[in-house]
Amino acid sequence: MFSLLTVMADSGPKKAQYERDPYTHTVAHEALETKSEVESFEIREVLRCILHTIVFHRALGLIRPKDIDLELFDITYVQCGEIEVEKKIDDKIEQFVTWIGKHPNKKSQICLTFYEVKTKQPSWFTNKIERLYWEQWNINLSAFQPPTKPPVGKSHHSKLVMDPGEESEDISSRRTLLEQSLQEVLFQIIKFVNEKKDHVPPINDGVIYCPFEITFPSSSDSTFGMDMLKRMLHSGGHPSMLS
Amino acid sequence: MTVPIWSKSEDQGGKTHTMDFPENLPSPDIGRLEQIVSHFFPKALHIVLDSRIPSLQSRGRTRDRSSGGLNVKKSDKWFNLIMGDRPAALDKLHSWHRNILDSMIIDIILIHPTDDDDDHGNVRSAETVIERWVVQYENPLIMSPQTSDPSTRYQKVYKKAIILLRSLYAQTRLLPAYRVSRQLSSSLASSRYEMVYKVSSFSDVFSPPVTETMKEFRFSPVEVPPGRLCASVTYRSDLSDFNLGAHITLPPRIITDYVGSPATDPMRFFPSPGQSFEATSFHFQGRAGRPPLTTSSASERPHSWTSGFHRPPTPNQSFSPDFHWSRTDGGDSHHQLSPPFSPSGSPSTPRGSYSPRINVRPGTAPVTIPSSATFNRYVSSNFSEPSRNPLPPFSPKSTRRSPSSQDSLPGIALYKSSRSGESPSGLINHYPGHKLTKDSKYDSGRFSGLLSSSGSPRFGFSRSPSRLSSDLEDPDCSCPFDFDDVDESVLQYSQSLDRRKTSSSISQSLPIGRKSQDAAVGVLVQMLKTAPPLRQDSSTYMASSMSGVQREGSSVSGAESEFSMARSTSDALEELRNYKQLKDLLLSKSKSVGGATRVH
Repeated sequence: MFSLLTVMADSGPKKAQYERDPYTHTVAHEALETKSEVESFEIREVLRCILHTIVFHRALGLIRPKDIDLELFDITYVQCGEIEVEKKIDDKIEQFVTWIGKHPNKKSQICLTFYEVKTKQPSWFTNKIERLYWEQWNINLSAFQPPTKPPVGKSHHSKLVMDPGEESEDISSRRTLLEQSLQEVLFQIIKFVNEKKDHVPPINDGVIYCPFEITFPSSSDSTFGMDMLKRMLHSGGHPSMLS
Repeated sequence: MTVPIWSKSEDQGGKTHTMDFPENLPSPDIGRLEQIVSHFFPKALHIVLDSRIPSLQSRGRTRDRSSGGLNVKKSDKWFNLIMGDRPAALDKLHSWHRNILDSMIIDIILIHPTDDDDDHGNVRSAETVIERWVVQYENPLIMSPQTSDPSTRYQKVYKKAIILLRSLYAQTRLLPAYRVSRQLSSSLASSRYEMVYKVSSFSDVFSPPVTETMKEFRFSPVEVPPGRLCASVTYRSDLSDFNLGAHITLPPRIITDYVGSPATDPMRFFPSPGQSFEATSFHFQGRAGRPPLTTSSASERPHSWTSGFHRPPTPNQSFSPDFHWSRTDGGDSHHQLSPPFSPSGSPSTPRGSYSPRINVRPGTAPVTIPSSATFNRYVSSNFSEPSRNPLPPFSPKSTRRSPSSQDSLPGIALYKSSRSGESPSGLINHYPGHKLTKDSKYDSGRFSGLLSSSGSPRFGFSRSPSRLSSDLEDPDCSCPFDFDDVDESVLQYSQSLDRRKTSSSISQSLPIGRKSQDAAVGVLVQMLKTAPPLRQDSSTYMASSMSGVQREGSSVSGAESEFSMARSTSDALEELRNYKQLKDLLLSKSKSVGGATRVH
């Protein structure tokens, strides 16, 4: 199974009332090999790495950074060190992996969006609290089953698959490719967070990290605009500001 | 916005600033902007060197996470990035950077050996700049008009400076030099590689050629009126030329759970084939990576007591994955892997998921020693029926199957009984000169001395007498002490036993060469001790020998006195012949292995 990974950063919401101009970047394409437990683990590792790196650059409060070494790759990324962030990201990744497992051969997208919480006058269609999204990162994945390959009763015992022969070579080569791609993605993230800084809202006292949410639309062909609209509608009903 | 300090007292280093800030800015802003710039340099320096030079790594950074920033120094809170205590060396380094208009250039230099040798044959070392970090504050000649609100300008500037330092921090982890510095910091001090740094204020002294291997990454500058903060890094993307992996040796690792050491749990457990065979439980490899499931690799790891087991068993023999150790205390089955025994002597387990087989190659396997009871049974049967092959019954062939625990094993009793309370290492240690301490439990040939202390069987040397009969016919046995050999050995030792009353001398006289020899010899000793005398009645012998086995500390003479049944002359002569052959065999073998003892 392969997964295609793209990361797009979109800063500035689409709605007209925002002053900032949106822009989009495509970071990279990755190939993730997914295969039973190995695939899930790879997805988790990669997603964790990417999401934490992004959040680290948006956690502008007082933090104590934490270096994390990936197990599958020779890459070290940085977490902001906040436990709530870590838990939130892990939970979302688990949901995403579960969802991918149920919907194979589908393109999926996981979005990391930063928002500001604004209170507005209650009107007929929104509550007081409103979220203003000022940056969005889209990660696109597509997974599909590889042709052939006897699934094998290849031991359900061994979690870390050591496939004999060509399979192991394929896996290792793909993993190497994935590692390089992941490194490239991280470079791109650093580049993007550096390029645009004006749209980042000011740091509030006591706030460690910019509030964010991670979503993955269930529909594979929803457009970005639809997603935004969905979020705006949902945000109107959210009583909590930081989920 | 959480700006840590805006007081001039925090201005470290007592720098003098010659930058001309625009006069239309309110004076507090001027000071704050100035401080942002002035604190940016040491912070960047700290981030870079902390990730590259182990000696300058901050302490206390990972501590106090739960307390958040409560115990953080004010100086460390700059840019909302807690780095830990800044080493004094860094402060000294930065003290010279008095003019914030000066660039700060940090060179990360790798000292590595070259292929050239000098006249004395010593390997030369070369220095190569693998990274160059440049931080500078550019002050444009013409100041651009400031459109934003001056009052909030420093907040925005500070925010952007924070983001810049975040990305600089993340970048230090991504570049190849980070991995190299980690490797070097964990390697032995004698490594010829070293990573050093150099901080300068101008780059014309050493300008690394921007070759194909050098890449550059420029961080987006942060506008700090009147100028802007810039940071960039030029780095070698490929460090494989230095052959770091080949030269860096791993530091000696203390394996605290060394299998077989007294401090560790003596009982190891081989997971069944149906179980997952993940890395953590396989301590043969010192936890280095995943455990290989092959027997040869499993036997690579030396143990003090398994020198004879290092040879990979033949393919037709089951090995570790099939191994089960049963614990008499009914412990769980998740113990770590036991020493790389050959499957010989695996105690019979209720799990029964595997059929143990002894690795009976000469000199490689411990010989499962039958209990004295079974032994004696055979002995008596041999004596009472001269027509039968007067061979000792305890050939390894017959004692190979999975024995139950807690049976007495005279052979094992000879081995390290002093360590009965410690690690089992019940395997016969065949090291020449290995101390075979005497234990009072020797005489009775009781294995319980080794078994009972921890309540768990060490090795499957114990076996139930009832199994003996089924094991005699196994054709796979090829131990050195085969029927004939054992016969001879018995002959040898019976003669020696006649002159000795204590098992200590017997144990010391054992030719120490191979485990199987020791095991068999031990059996022989016991057999001889309890062997019926030529004139003893068989029935009397059986009863007395059984009691002798059960009785601890029985003397040899006492046993011998019970062997008073009458024997025919031919039997005696046959026996004597066998003993002589055994003696010769043992002598030859002890000579062949350069044994330290002689059999008298």
